[in-house]
Amino acid sequence: MPQFFLNKRLIILLVSIIVLVALIGFSLREREKLSWPEQFVKDTTGWVQSLVSKPANYIAGFFENLQDLQNTYNENKELKSRVEKIASLEAEVQALKKDNSDLRDILGETKTLRDYETQPATVIGRNPDRWHEMIIIDKGSLKGINKNMAVITANGLIGKVKSVNQFSSTVQLLSAMDPKNRISAVIQGKKSNVYGFVQGFDNKEKLLQIKSIPSGAKVEKGQTVTTSGLGGVFPGGLMIGKVVDVKTDQYGLNQMALVKPGADFYDIQNVVIIKRSMTQPAKKDISNGKEEEL
Amino acid sequence: MRKFLLPLLFMLLFIAESLFVQFLPADVLGQNRILAPRFLFSGLLLLTIFVGRKQGIIYAAIFGLIFDIVYIEIIGIYLFLFPFVAYLISKIMHVLQANMIVAFVVSVFGIALLEVGVYEMDYLIHVTNLEFIDFLNLRLYPTLILNAAFLLIFIFPLKRYFEKYADALRDE
Repeated sequence: MPQFFLNKRLIILLVSIIVLVALIGFSLREREKLSWPEQFVKDTTGWVQSLVSKPANYIAGFFENLQDLQNTYNENKELKSRVEKIASLEAEVQALKKDNSDLRDILGETKTLRDYETQPATVIGRNPDRWHEMIIIDKGSLKGINKNMAVITANGLIGKVKSVNQFSSTVQLLSAMDPKNRISAVIQGKKSNVYGFVQGFDNKEKLLQIKSIPSGAKVEKGQTVTTSGLGGVFPGGLMIGKVVDVKTDQYGLNQMALVKPGADFYDIQNVVIIKRSMTQPAKKDISNGKEEEL
Repeated sequence: MRKFLLPLLFMLLFIAESLFVQFLPADVLGQNRILAPRFLFSGLLLLTIFVGRKQGIIYAAIFGLIFDIVYIEIIGIYLFLFPFVAYLISKIMHVLQANMIVAFVVSVFGIALLEVGVYEMDYLIHVTNLEFIDFLNLRLYPTLILNAAFLLIFIFPLKRYFEKYADALRDE
């Protein structure tokens, strides 16, 4: 047996496995903030990355423009037909908006769950190992970005801010598998809305799963899914995607809708970070004191 | 000058990986295939093969740590796997001759080891729930093809550079 313990390599291996488990355990737990050495390394590499990726973005944009030129004619024809509808739609939206704000003034409820401020940002990096779906953006806490803010592109919601540094932050995409990643969503029906949670991503089919939909609720293909704002973190009304399929969930108690995300999770260059205007209720306001005594 | 060139080269590969993923269209090799670039690790393996075990493992550990902090936010996975696979590869190279074809085959093997290792770890901590057979088809084979192509192009200049570096180290 003494020979076994004298084997230096074996001991190094064992010690490093222990250190590995400890480190993984340390970084997996729910952390409010990254430690400062991590922030420092991330900011430094973020600076180098933005030096490289901004010219790269520019060049990629140039080639994309060239490609766009090729099908300009067809696009133009299609867009023209749509523009005519848009004018009348816009007028209607204006009228409704004004109506809405007037009525709100009368009620005295000026804030809504849908109000938010925006902060544009550029993507400067993406996780190359592609297990943990994350992107790095070039705005950090100095620009007022906080953990858990929603991140969207022009086509819809793509994820939430996972961690913030001074000059850069990390965004976790909706396609990442994270059991803590639950977003309260609403499926807009003609008569009534149906509520559920975005929970999980089907990697093979590239579809989002919306779970906890009551079994009686009627969900149809093609309905639009947006955030509801009831989760307390995201504002309401951010586009998520369209329903493509409805199933009963594994226990047969609830329904599960498969949703094709509106945003492309791959070709992301510019994003918008959403700061919710309405404040988050404090924990003690949600749960009444009596319950906690029990 | 020479001292800064090697870290700079790896830093470049480190950023190139992220840029590659950022600008790669979603479906290159058909539907849903995932191509993970391992340019940095290919470079680290070639360093281990052509320069030496000590340099290889030290660089692997440092860049593994940076990779963990910047891209993964879970410290430990690459910090452990990069040096571990580099060590195994250096053991294999004891019995093999360090020419270009052998280095190519051994590097591809090393990348396969790394991929399987990362998959097992991520499966363990519930980052993924992909079945092993799906992992092979959707991820491992496309990744190996991509990195083999990268190695085919860059193995010659990297080998020349690393051998010069090794000579310079010996002279000191």
